[in-house]
Amino acid sequence: MEKKVEKYDVIIIGGGAAGLTAGIYCGRARLKTLLIEKSLVGGLATYTNEIENYPGFPEGSTGLGLMELFHKQAKKFNVDFKLTDVKSVNLEGDVKTVETFRNKFEAKAVIVATGGKPRLTGAKGEEAFLYDKGISFCATCDAAANTGKTVLVVGSGDAAIEEGMFLTKFADKVIVSVLHDTGKMDCNEIAKAEALANPKMEFIWNSVAHEFFGEERLHTVVLKNLKTDQLIPVKVDSCFLFIGYLPNTDIFKGVLDMNKGGYLLTNEKMETNIEGIFACGDVRDKFLKQVATAVGDGAIAGYSAEKYIAESELFHNQIMQCDKPGIVYVWNAIDPKCREFLPLIEKYEAAYDGKVRITKVDIYKSAGIASRLGVSQVPSIVKIKDGKIEKIIRENICEEELAAAIEE
Amino acid sequence: MGKEVMLDCLGEACPVPLIKTENALKKLTIGDLLIVHIDHSCAMKNVPEWARKEGHNVEIEEVDDGEWEIFIEKAK
Ligand SMILES: Cc1cc2nc3c(=O)[nH]c(=O)nc-3n(C[C@H](O)[C@H](O)[C@H](O)COP(=O)(O)OP(=O)(O)OC[C@H]3O[C@@H](n4cnc5c(N)ncnc54)[C@H](O)[C@@H]3O)c2cc1C
Repeated sequence: MEKKVEKYDVIIIGGGAAGLTAGIYCGRARLKTLLIEKSLVGGLATYTNEIENYPGFPEGSTGLGLMELFHKQAKKFNVDFKLTDVKSVNLEGDVKTVETFRNKFEAKAVIVATGGKPRLTGAKGEEAFLYDKGISFCATCDAAANTGKTVLVVGSGDAAIEEGMFLTKFADKVIVSVLHDTGKMDCNEIAKAEALANPKMEFIWNSVAHEFFGEERLHTVVLKNLKTDQLIPVKVDSCFLFIGYLPNTDIFKGVLDMNKGGYLLTNEKMETNIEGIFACGDVRDKFLKQVATAVGDGAIAGYSAEKYIAESELFHNQIMQCDKPGIVYVWNAIDPKCREFLPLIEKYEAAYDGKVRITKVDIYKSAGIASRLGVSQVPSIVKIKDGKIEKIIRENICEEELAAAIEE
Repeated sequence: MGKEVMLDCLGEACPVPLIKTENALKKLTIGDLLIVHIDHSCAMKNVPEWARKEGHNVEIEEVDDGEWEIFIEKAK
């Protein structure tokens, strides 16, 4: 079956805090924007019941509630949503393609906001109990089903301890497996103090998950003491894993630059190694992975995509046109030498009006067009003929050179 | 084209929608389409993911605010 092709200005892959924010910026810039999300719009933030550090919500908010507001705002700016997973991408060139199982989408720019997925322990038996068979990554989703039960939490970071405390509102007992020595945890001090004082919480120090047992459902997790190698069977109704996250970047392997851990490398404009492809949020190699920083990244990515598209249009529809010869003056507004030639350029602009297209490109505003022309030095003059670069004049720019270039 | 089967999971919280989906899918043959109707967001986090992991094709429609139809095309 031939896939249906739909065209957009921007495609955003991933509907978490970063993707939704990028959507708000692109939609508001009146770009035709598609956001593709494979599961619940809102991303990983919907896995927590309490977000207390996102500004603007002094009383805190549930992750789901906060993300519903993001979603609503993106819809308001006419972002189209498609709920399916992106299977493959082709990111090189001016037309980028993104494929899902039914459709093929084309866009001028793509924003990758695929975030992370929970890391597994890798212990024996684990696979058999994923997907509602006893191992969970979402306390908010599965807390109520554990009312009056015993649960095990693996991990000691902020997520592990804060979600563990949330679970004590439902479960009778929350046992926490901590990798470190007695009293040492990876979470913040406030959470740590509260957890240690919580009568429903119990800690097993120096431990890691060793094996998962059960019938249809999980019933026992065997922990291993790292110091003594002692095996500790723990009877549980559910086990929650909070041992970190891995980036969703499999479909970009070998295409986008990433670090050893698979996180995407970008500059501060959220540009990746491929022109017109941007990345934002937890999927990036960055210092702090939170909703507030995902929002900042998303705003930049949306803005960068808008600028990139505007620049592409200027480049193709004006600079590289074939209808008449063109002269491009590449300059930098803060460079005195560049400013000196400006009256001269403007004089020719008036004199050859209608016969030669003269365009001024200020690299102080953006270096994108100059780099497309292969120019890094200013001032430079680029002569375009039949939609192709004919000549680049980098030195000895003067009235005679310019006149010669135009007259030729 | 196979047959289309609707599975009503409205009002059901986790883990019920996933269990029902697993059972319903067992009774179908390759090429059939199962449409799971849900209104608990938790099911959006595991039903599509599980079905994809099993090798089926999945697409979701948001039919209303907080209400979804998960289309699962049985592929094996
Ligand atoms: C339990 C928990 C508690 C947390 N608590 C806090 C907190 O209190 N404060 C705070 O600021 N942050 C908190 N965070 C972190 C916060 O959730 C993340 O920083 C934030 O979600 C990052 O947003 P994102 O958009 O970059 O990525 P994500 O939220 O991970 O979103 C990425 C989205 O992309 C989708 N996707 C991936 N691959 C594809 C594909 N191929 N096709 C289509 N879609 C795809 C995913 O389904 C996902 O929805 C918490 C996280 C967890 C898990």
